Amino acid sequence: MSRRFWSNIWAVAYREALVRRHDVAFLGVVVMQPIMMFVIFGVALSNKPANVPWAVVDRSGGEVARRLVTDVQATGYFLPPVRLAGYEQGRRLLKRGKMLAVLVVPDEFERDVERGRPRVQLLLDGSDPLSAARIGAYVAQTAAAFRPRDRGGERHAAAPAIDVRQRFWFNPTLRDRTFFLAALAGMLLTNLCLSVTSTSLVGEREAGTYEQMLSLPTTSLEIVLGKLVPYVAVSYALLLFATLASGLVFGIWPQGSFVALVAVTFPYVLASLAIGVFVSAVARTSAQAVFISVFFVMPSFVLSGVMYPYQLMPHGVRELGGVFPLRWYQIASRRIIERGGGFGDIVVPALALGVIFALILLALRWRMRPRLA
Amino acid sequence: MNRRRLWTLVRREARATLRDPFTLVVLVAVPLGALLIFGFVLATDVKQLPLGVLDASDTPASRRLVADIGATGTFVPRRYRSRDAVARALVGGEISAAIVIPPDFAERRSQEVQLIYDGGEAVLAGNAEAFLKSLVVTSAADVVPTAPPGGVEVVTRALFNPRLDGKPFMVAGTFGFVLSFLTTLITAVSIVNERLTGTFEQLQVTPATSLEILLGKILPLGAVFAGDVALMVVAAGLVLGVWPQGSIMFFLLVSSAYVLISLALGVIFSATSATAAEAVQKTVLFSIPLVQLSGFAFPIRNMPLVFRWLTELFPATHYIRVSRAIYIRAAGPTAVLPEISIILLCGLVLVLYARRTIEARA
Repeated sequence: MSRRFWSNIWAVAYREALVRRHDVAFLGVVVMQPIMMFVIFGVALSNKPANVPWAVVDRSGGEVARRLVTDVQATGYFLPPVRLAGYEQGRRLLKRGKMLAVLVVPDEFERDVERGRPRVQLLLDGSDPLSAARIGAYVAQTAAAFRPRDRGGERHAAAPAIDVRQRFWFNPTLRDRTFFLAALAGMLLTNLCLSVTSTSLVGEREAGTYEQMLSLPTTSLEIVLGKLVPYVAVSYALLLFATLASGLVFGIWPQGSFVALVAVTFPYVLASLAIGVFVSAVARTSAQAVFISVFFVMPSFVLSGVMYPYQLMPHGVRELGGVFPLRWYQIASRRIIERGGGFGDIVVPALALGVIFALILLALRWRMRPRLA
Repeated sequence: MNRRRLWTLVRREARATLRDPFTLVVLVAVPLGALLIFGFVLATDVKQLPLGVLDASDTPASRRLVADIGATGTFVPRRYRSRDAVARALVGGEISAAIVIPPDFAERRSQEVQLIYDGGEAVLAGNAEAFLKSLVVTSAADVVPTAPPGGVEVVTRALFNPRLDGKPFMVAGTFGFVLSFLTTLITAVSIVNERLTGTFEQLQVTPATSLEILLGKILPLGAVFAGDVALMVVAAGLVLGVWPQGSIMFFLLVSSAYVLISLALGVIFSATSATAAEAVQKTVLFSIPLVQLSGFAFPIRNMPLVFRWLTELFPATHYIRVSRAIYIRAAGPTAVLPEISIILLCGLVLVLYARRTIEARA
């Protein structure tokens, strides 16, 4: 590595940074997207059911049933219940999507309470399975803890057979915000590294400036490396933005070693940038490059586990997600940001990212023969 | 409007679109890929999830409790010797939930069992909670039958989707994703490219009116995407086993109306952009809230009030609602009338606006 090598890289990097500073579309990606995603993932999205519309068909009309309904209501996930006269009406409302759940209390409910085997029926709209499963669980838990014969303060002596205490570590109130924001930097960096790099090289080829640079005393390796340097810098700026914004606005600071987070970001950015370069080597026009990179980013969001838990995906799909750098980065950043991990916890993800990077470099060597338009 | 001129424009556009092999690959591969990927990611049932076990009592009763929990196949127990080991495994992500059984389990009348979840994986923890707690309570009742069971039993029935399978929900939503995002993107790029190569100016100096040019763009692309919808319906049915519960014809009709909206948006984005890259940026920026806020991935009901109002402004929200209603709940035209009228109204407004942007360019 001569001194020429580094100064050439530096020169290309300087030029790239100058060009990008005046590129409105690029600034849109770097400034607008992070803010938008931060607001959406920090404020808007949640898997925890809220404002659930539900109805009650109370055929017993008794006081015990009313207390059960009040107890379910008190969990805080539900809107005030709608009283219905009959079962059919409930089914119709479910079908039209007006209700998510209908609780049916049978005629002989009070008698069953006296006998000690009370039962109620819960009809759920299964079309949104995630919400339905959660709502079903909330109602079942409330009902299981319900003491039917406990009227007005007169407590029953019999303690339950088993007392289950639940704790949610690292996120006591189980807020989805913490879950999403821990992966925010990963999402932003995938977007940046892929969509920007992929169009940057193709754009040069389209404009004919790539040939110009080749005719200078720079090699194609120096050009590619030089073009990537500014994006590494922008990547770290975005990591800083995601960390500061989550910390200052929502108080979600990394629980573990921030240095480890910075360290694992490096192989992640390299791998993502390499994919971007590979896309631009495959694509003929910048429109094609955008298509390919956008349709790489989408599945990587969905399969990596930043939005849905990858642990629950079926085998095959779960392993497929390991192809995406974002999978490994989100594993590492969750360990550090949420669970307070350190360097020992990022070894495996960092190695995996290194392997992905090496594989893409091999593919690039094979694909990137000097190509003139 | 001259019918022959329009027909010529339509034929020209159809040929230009179908000639490019890359566009063809995108038109077929992206919808199918999206279906397969989205179809498999949403799972509500917990299966074979590693469960950390710290059994401090190590008695026949506690061992039976652990064996009972493992027997259902929902959780796979992994034994740990100390609380520290459990904590390390949780931090390292080896386990996402753990059960701690106290040393004096079996001896006391009221036993306390602790369940610990990895709250860092909020969605996973929420799902695991639903299964684990009831599993422990029922298994424990068998192990320690001393105290009388209290509480009310809930018999749950999920209508339309009894096994709470994630596929129908995601498949019905994927139509909204593909028809909003891919359609707008392809239209936007196609028009900008024409402007860059100068063929758009050539069109404008022909006797064709702006409405004819617009329709000449929209109609063939609309037909292509209607074909895409049919392709997706068949692929979802054959590969994922998800067929629409309602009328297929009605679904195709609504989808075609919705395609118009995305096409018009594509025209607007491209007419207001100087380069293809800019048009693409606009589309992608627009598509972020669309994917996240339209109810495709996350229920709108759970959002704060402001966002719930905001989402009502996206046509995609209404289309995804209709698509799920038809696909899963077998809804007919009357049940989704308000949503459909909103879609049609949006379509009309956007097509008229798209025509104005094209005229402004002339």
